[in-house]
Amino acid sequence: MNLMTSNPMIESYFAALETQLSDLQESKRQEVVRELRAHIFDRLEQITVPTDEDCRTVLQAMGSPQEIGRQYRIELLLNRSAWKISPWRMLRTLSRWTLTGIQGYIVFILALLGYTTGACFYVTALLKPFFPRNVGMFVSEQGVNLARFPGPPQGVEMLGAYYVPFAVVLGFLFTLGTTLAIRFVIRRFGRLKQKVAGMAAA
Amino acid sequence: MALLRKEPKAEPTEKWEAQLRKGCLELAILACLWDKRLYGLEILRGLEENSKLVLAEGTVYPILARLKEDGLLQSEWVEADAGHPRKYYWLTAPGRQKVVSMAQFWNSFAANLNGLLKPVLNGKGRV
Repeated sequence: MNLMTSNPMIESYFAALETQLSDLQESKRQEVVRELRAHIFDRLEQITVPTDEDCRTVLQAMGSPQEIGRQYRIELLLNRSAWKISPWRMLRTLSRWTLTGIQGYIVFILALLGYTTGACFYVTALLKPFFPRNVGMFVSEQGVNLARFPGPPQGVEMLGAYYVPFAVVLGFLFTLGTTLAIRFVIRRFGRLKQKVAGMAAA
Repeated sequence: MALLRKEPKAEPTEKWEAQLRKGCLELAILACLWDKRLYGLEILRGLEENSKLVLAEGTVYPILARLKEDGLLQSEWVEADAGHPRKYYWLTAPGRQKVVSMAQFWNSFAANLNGLLKPVLNGKGRV
């Protein structure tokens, strides 16, 4: 008897679960599905001849794919992002966090600002060799201006060609600083948030 | 006027009980694994026998996954003699330290709260 592959109810449950877990890495998702399948199999093994009704009861006791998927996202995604450095992944995780309250929203906006500033430095470093008169560090009474088209920005250019390494270093520092700040916030407050979210779902 | 009356969203006591169960689940899972290696369903059975902590069976697995990511648990798939492979969990050294400190905290916390609750449960000193 192979209940794991033959019962359409179980298959549709795991199909829904896989969809819910689409944010997880493929290997991790397969691991989760394998473990939960083993659980269902163990439960059904206790019944001599399981019927569709038994399958339904076992799946109901397990919890809905939506609820389990949500729990995995809360438990693993925030946790995982606490150790990763990809800005894209950071922002994706934070965008989900924003849905749970104002605290997450503020962190998301600050992270977006940090990464955008970093990206601006990178972009201007790339443009400087092609538009040397339009891009650079121009200091005037009104402040600092990095680029202006079509005419050059107001003020005196301070760095000349040295702007390129300067902007690359600043871009890197902004990106790294934002990532480290997000990781700190997730480690410091994320776990608390998980518990709050978990309790709210109860 | 009945339309204006707010319907209660959930029974407050039930909600509080659910929150309490959730909050204790991590400690209970770690305690189940104190002296043995267990797979998910065995952990659930341990929780069901000794407490009424689990609301939906599937919610134990995300917690196990996170405890493993945190380095408190280790796991391994083991082929059974008859049947299918199962994923066994056991405590790591940091996991053992963690469960000891959590248990100590729980002990003093519960003792203090029990002191507060004593007159309530005895029904004495009502104003």
